[in-house]
Amino acid sequence: MSCKPGEPCHEGLKRRRALAVLGLMAILFVALSAVSFLDSRGQAVPSQVGYAGFDAVEGKRVFQSYNCMGCHTIVGNGAYFAPDLTKLYDKAGPAWLEAFLPSAGAWPTSGAVRRHLQDPAIAAEAGTDDLDAYLEAYPAAAERIARRGGKATTMPNLPLTREEIGNLIAFLKYTSQMNTEGWPPTPAVDGLSFPQATPLPAALRAAATATPQEGAAAAAPVSAVAHGEALAVDNGCTACHATDRQRLVGPGWGGLYGSTTTLADGSAVAVDEAYLTQSILDPDARIVAGFEPGAMPSFADMLEAGEVAAIVAFIRSLGETKP
Amino acid sequence: MIRIEYETQRLSLRFFMVMLVLFFLQTAFGLLLAAQHIDPTLLAGMLNFNVLRSQHVNLAIFWVLSGFIATILFVGPLLSKRELAEPWLIKVLFYALLAVVAWNALTQVLAQQGVAGWWMGQPLLQEGLEYLEAGRIADVVILIGFAILCWVVLRTFPPRAQWNEIHWGLGLGVVALTLVWIFGMAFVERLDVQEYFRWYVVHYWVEGVWEVIHIALVGFLLVLMFGANVKSVGYAVFWGISLVWLSGLLGNAHHYFWIGTPEFWQFWGSLFSALEPLPLIFCFWHIYLDAHQDGKPVANMPAFSFLLGSVVLEQVGAGILGFTMTFALTNVWSHGTWVTLSHAHLALFGTFGMLGLAAAYYAVPIMRGLAAFDQRPGRLAFWLVFTGMLGLGFVFAIGGTVQVFVYRTLGLDWFSGDVAPAMQFAKVSVPVFGMVFASGVGVLVYDLLTMGLRAPAASGDEAAAVPPSAGWGRRLSGWETGLWLLAMWVFGGIITLGLLSFNLPSVQQGNALFPYLMAGIGYPGLLLTTLLFVRRFLRSLEARRHVPAAPLVVAAVSPAGAG
Repeated sequence: MSCKPGEPCHEGLKRRRALAVLGLMAILFVALSAVSFLDSRGQAVPSQVGYAGFDAVEGKRVFQSYNCMGCHTIVGNGAYFAPDLTKLYDKAGPAWLEAFLPSAGAWPTSGAVRRHLQDPAIAAEAGTDDLDAYLEAYPAAAERIARRGGKATTMPNLPLTREEIGNLIAFLKYTSQMNTEGWPPTPAVDGLSFPQATPLPAALRAAATATPQEGAAAAAPVSAVAHGEALAVDNGCTACHATDRQRLVGPGWGGLYGSTTTLADGSAVAVDEAYLTQSILDPDARIVAGFEPGAMPSFADMLEAGEVAAIVAFIRSLGETKP
Repeated sequence: MIRIEYETQRLSLRFFMVMLVLFFLQTAFGLLLAAQHIDPTLLAGMLNFNVLRSQHVNLAIFWVLSGFIATILFVGPLLSKRELAEPWLIKVLFYALLAVVAWNALTQVLAQQGVAGWWMGQPLLQEGLEYLEAGRIADVVILIGFAILCWVVLRTFPPRAQWNEIHWGLGLGVVALTLVWIFGMAFVERLDVQEYFRWYVVHYWVEGVWEVIHIALVGFLLVLMFGANVKSVGYAVFWGISLVWLSGLLGNAHHYFWIGTPEFWQFWGSLFSALEPLPLIFCFWHIYLDAHQDGKPVANMPAFSFLLGSVVLEQVGAGILGFTMTFALTNVWSHGTWVTLSHAHLALFGTFGMLGLAAAYYAVPIMRGLAAFDQRPGRLAFWLVFTGMLGLGFVFAIGGTVQVFVYRTLGLDWFSGDVAPAMQFAKVSVPVFGMVFASGVGVLVYDLLTMGLRAPAASGDEAAAVPPSAGWGRRLSGWETGLWLLAMWVFGGIITLGLLSFNLPSVQQGNALFPYLMAGIGYPGLLLTTLLFVRRFLRSLEARRHVPAAPLVVAAVSPAGAG
């Protein structure tokens, strides 16, 4: 039946020939495959990649457990809904990932990255504990902080544990060490200078606006409240605290000052300057009922006394509850 | 054939019905995904994108498999000239299918909490790998289901000495279906090794197994519909399967370009997967030949429309669009973007989905005991899903081309800030064509589910609907078919050049004109040619009704003359 009706078929012969060619191809395929995974190729292997004491193989399990590939791509395979993660560690670095993953719903600010650089293990992986040196070494982190810092992402907050985050970063460190034969291709131009970039690049914006008012606001004095607001955004506070009464990760700041709140141990406390200052410097000292200790980091090493006072002033400006 | 010949053929009906329900659900999930692409906060936290997508992808696999199983059960007794072996096992298979679909739908939601059910190093509940999201428990049940299918098919078939090429195709197909599945059943530590084996399942299923089952079933459905010669169809099936395997075995290399495997795969993958369209051209040519071997009118137009749609979209989606991105120099750009979505939707739904729908339109009226049925809903549904899917292929491709430029060439990787706004036109167009597609799905699911059970609609004037045998309705010659096919490939060539042009220094410097122009000509050209060709083909078949109708009309108008 491998021939037209009426012709001699030589069916068995044809079938054997096709099988023989197929067999040859199978041998070629198996040989190419065997060569592909030889140790001598020097391809990165997850069991040999460590990150701050965490394990890349366990990280791959985390990656699969959360079905990261269902939105992102890895080595280009996945869902095209979110960026490829293969080389992210290389470009954005460990401190940015550490700042991003616990609350993925908001883009980290420089303060959050700086805080993680104070962890010696992370600083050792990053190669520096200085924020400016870090941003120079990881330009994608600088770009993300400058353009996106403090804004909402489209990624949901995931219930990742500390252990899972460390392992996941170890896995991403492994994938960025992989040799993927030049993929993804390296752009030849700086995309940020093109009109597709958000916000519109400064040069294009200047050309578009007819009357540029240079330096008008540069010399304006900064009030304590405005300073506090800038600090709150810069240090990532507003990723978890709303400026109205809404509860995000932490309590909303609207109307908070002057109110009385119940602590986890059942006692009541007046929210005043002393309480807010303590909550910023040592958040776990007095936890409000309904919140978990350990959710908020301490800012004792990161903010000057004046800066803490400015943030408290900003919170106070968001509405006071008169007792 | 108007009535079934073997009682056990009726067992296929329940699988067809499940196929329709799952198809409907899959379409609904697709619309939700399109909505989330426009507003990513929609349902965020309740049903995240990755969960919806795994449902959409897994339901696609489940309903295509249901269609295969149903069709194989329906034609199995006809091929073997005896009843199906072990009908009780088929009932077990049916309940196992229902259970595993429901179980898998529930376990996929656990990805939002990061729960995979790790036990002895294996994820029992879900494993977060594209297309293989099912956890190990579901994997085992599915493997048992495949084994049951193999057992039933091989026990039903006559002794091997009596096998023709269709037996060989189906027999090899179901056995390979089972064997290849096993490669997806282990947790692999290394990403490159995991991707290497994941494509064993995904690529060899589609290119090595489903394609073989598809060729064999299309061949046999042509035998049933047109009374085509089993021998000459067998000839096509033999060469089809041989070419599929000879090109597809090494063609898998096109998945090994960038996953961490060596550079030499780029050579082998580009070479052999460029040959993958050959069997599809062969199949395309054969449906033309078989439909034209006599001039009789086609009794069941919806069934034939979907069968033609299956073969044509296989040519366009799998063959041509697959070809455009199969070379390392074009794939480096298309890889990991919406450009691949265009190929995937047209190829998977077109080739395999439409085959199941064609078989359903052929088999359901027979099993419901209908000598004739109202074909208008079926024909309408075909045009809605066919146009909808071509439209989706178009907007995915256009969105993908923009994505390649913004994301890869300019290197802007802020999806919600830079990439999505640039793709906004395409993102908004997806639900538009999605609604066209979904309305067709609604019509055909309702039509097939209730066929023979609902009160028959008042029959319209069928004769008035028959197009004249001139213009679009004139006989379709082999030359003309060849020219249509050539036009499709010319547009495919333009698309390939467009993807290739991303390598040009001028494009690299940020000038998108050339790739945008090529995509703007190539994709609409290809998809409109496809649409018009299918219209031309079906019109010419519909016009055939004039031929036998002519004497009747004469007799009715002038009974005296006849006397």
